Amino acid sequence: MKLFRNKILLLPAFVFLALPFYGFMTAIVQSLGNEEPLSHYWDLLDSDRFLASIAFSIRTAGIATILSIAIGLLLIRSFYKILVQLSPRLRVWIPMLFPHFVWGYMVILLLGESGIFSQIAVVSGWMESQADFPIWTRDRYGIGIIITYVWKEVPLVILLLLPVYSSIRPEYYALVDTLGGNGWNRFTTVELPHLLPVLVESFLIIFSFSLTAYEVPALIGTTFPEMISVLGYEWFYGSSWDDRPLAFASMVSISIFLLILTIIGYTFLNRTRLKAMRGGK
Amino acid sequence: MKRKISYLLLVFLLLSACSQASTSERDWTKPSWDEITSEAEGTEVRLYMWGGDEGINQYIDEWVTPRMKENHGLTLERVPMDTPEILQKLQTEKQAGKQEGTIDLIWINGENFKNAKENGLLMGSFTHTLPNFTDYYDTNSPAFQTDFGTAVDGMEAPWGKVQFVFHYDSDKIEDPPASFEELHAWIHNNPGKFTYPRAEDFTGNAFLRHILYAQAGEPEDIYGQPLEEERIAETAQHTWTYLNDITGDLWRSGEHYPNSLTELDRLYSQGEVWMTMGYNESRAESLIEEGVFPESTRSFVMEPGSIGNTHFLSIPFNSQNRPGALTAINEMLSPEAQLAKFKPKYWGENTPISFEKLSEEMRKQFKTVERGKSVLPPEKLEKSFLPESEAAYVELMREQWFNEVVQK
Repeated sequence: MKLFRNKILLLPAFVFLALPFYGFMTAIVQSLGNEEPLSHYWDLLDSDRFLASIAFSIRTAGIATILSIAIGLLLIRSFYKILVQLSPRLRVWIPMLFPHFVWGYMVILLLGESGIFSQIAVVSGWMESQADFPIWTRDRYGIGIIITYVWKEVPLVILLLLPVYSSIRPEYYALVDTLGGNGWNRFTTVELPHLLPVLVESFLIIFSFSLTAYEVPALIGTTFPEMISVLGYEWFYGSSWDDRPLAFASMVSISIFLLILTIIGYTFLNRTRLKAMRGGK
Repeated sequence: MKRKISYLLLVFLLLSACSQASTSERDWTKPSWDEITSEAEGTEVRLYMWGGDEGINQYIDEWVTPRMKENHGLTLERVPMDTPEILQKLQTEKQAGKQEGTIDLIWINGENFKNAKENGLLMGSFTHTLPNFTDYYDTNSPAFQTDFGTAVDGMEAPWGKVQFVFHYDSDKIEDPPASFEELHAWIHNNPGKFTYPRAEDFTGNAFLRHILYAQAGEPEDIYGQPLEEERIAETAQHTWTYLNDITGDLWRSGEHYPNSLTELDRLYSQGEVWMTMGYNESRAESLIEEGVFPESTRSFVMEPGSIGNTHFLSIPFNSQNRPGALTAINEMLSPEAQLAKFKPKYWGENTPISFEKLSEEMRKQFKTVERGKSVLPPEKLEKSFLPESEAAYVELMREQWFNEVVQK
């Protein structure tokens, strides 16, 4: 690779990455125990609270990510022709203008037990009292968190996928049609190979973000089970500073988990790419 | 030659760096008070404090800051930040060896003070140098000697005093419960109308400690002694039984606890629950005035009593303006500043000052302050006053509550 041979070109990236890298290294140092280096990591594996939290976090972030990508893909497939125009595209992107916690508050205002939807339901006579309204925010299934993330991330998925869609040459579709393929064939043979790298990337970005972001679960999460970011914050800023190494250990574990996930994703992509280049498939 | 000059320059730089350090590290508790105030004139003091209450912010910005400027030529700059984050910032500066800090003055108490003291984040003992503290405060009062069980050692100066009260809507509840047993019965009779913030929250934790006090033979068994888990095991067990017993009749059947006092206040203001609580006997006044709480909001305390504590001002280890910080603290402890803080206009908070040490005129002014309908009379508050326990109890409640109540 010529790019890497010329080290000056790497400099901007290096300067940019140095700070997070330094932060990560410091976090590792702080997560190590005095006598036995990995003691805090064993503590984590012993902690029911941590295990419950990690299971809940992966499940919630996973559902939110898959739903966002599926809905985004569906929207873009159905409305591709409209979305190429500027103004509908901008309208779809509106939720991206708002910070996540603002959107979280919106969801509480709309879907909370005394929120706007429940008031409408009561006024319209659909429900007898606000107590009949289902609990969608601060609930133990993470529904509120999932709704907020899906709402926020669908526009992002559209943003990421739209350029790929517009780069697919219409001749490919014509080819599928002439060979007698149906809509499903169009998707699997033309769109999916184009989309795959971006889909994997979007999954990694959204999943990492929703797994570790703090403000939304802090706002609409419940007491138990809690997202890992909330638990980490609690351990870090909790009343005694004794739990701080635990906070670092959990953050380091998650970072490593996400790193491995990313490596798997990219190896998978490279393999498919190689296969495609060799003409296999 | 060139080399020599650069060596010389280096030596010069090192020397100047040393002398710089020695001025900022000078022991400012030794010089006379006049010298301190004259040194403070024309300087800037950066006060980092929790900024979540508009009344408190206005008190600082509209009353304290102009007065500092006028009396001492001091510029007070208020920076809003949560206390644990302030300590984190100081800790980071300490780790980085930064002696020229950005913070001159902090508002602190309880576990934050304990953490700050234990990690060497504070300047040291200074309260004996403050004329207003020695003149107007009972310097030997136990309330100023220990802070949540941690010895103060003159490292923080008492700024205010608050007491825990419950609030209720007098239109909906005629007679509020008078004891924790009655509260227990009330919750069962009014399912879904009561809840408390989670144990990580300052207020929620104080609520749990009240139950612990109530379940002990005498509240003094808790606040009078350091934490020994074995000794209080039975009391703790009663506490969890009490809490688990009411859980089913809490708001949302105890499946979700408000994450903060703000969330509980919102539930109260929307009428979802009928009671709220807080660590300030007069905090409902400003909320009523803003229209957040209903006009009919009143407060109550229950047997065996209500916990109160003192909060303090302190100076970080790396403050760049120690004379300025000392002058500012002295001013904030003055009877005039305390009177303005006591009036409901801004903050309406109780004062740790000793009335018997005040002038006749000043005492009268304090006496005539009308604190509002939602504030209990001082005699009632004084009679129910319970001191704060050691900070370790806060930690105990926080950890065990999750295991004993939430995960059950």
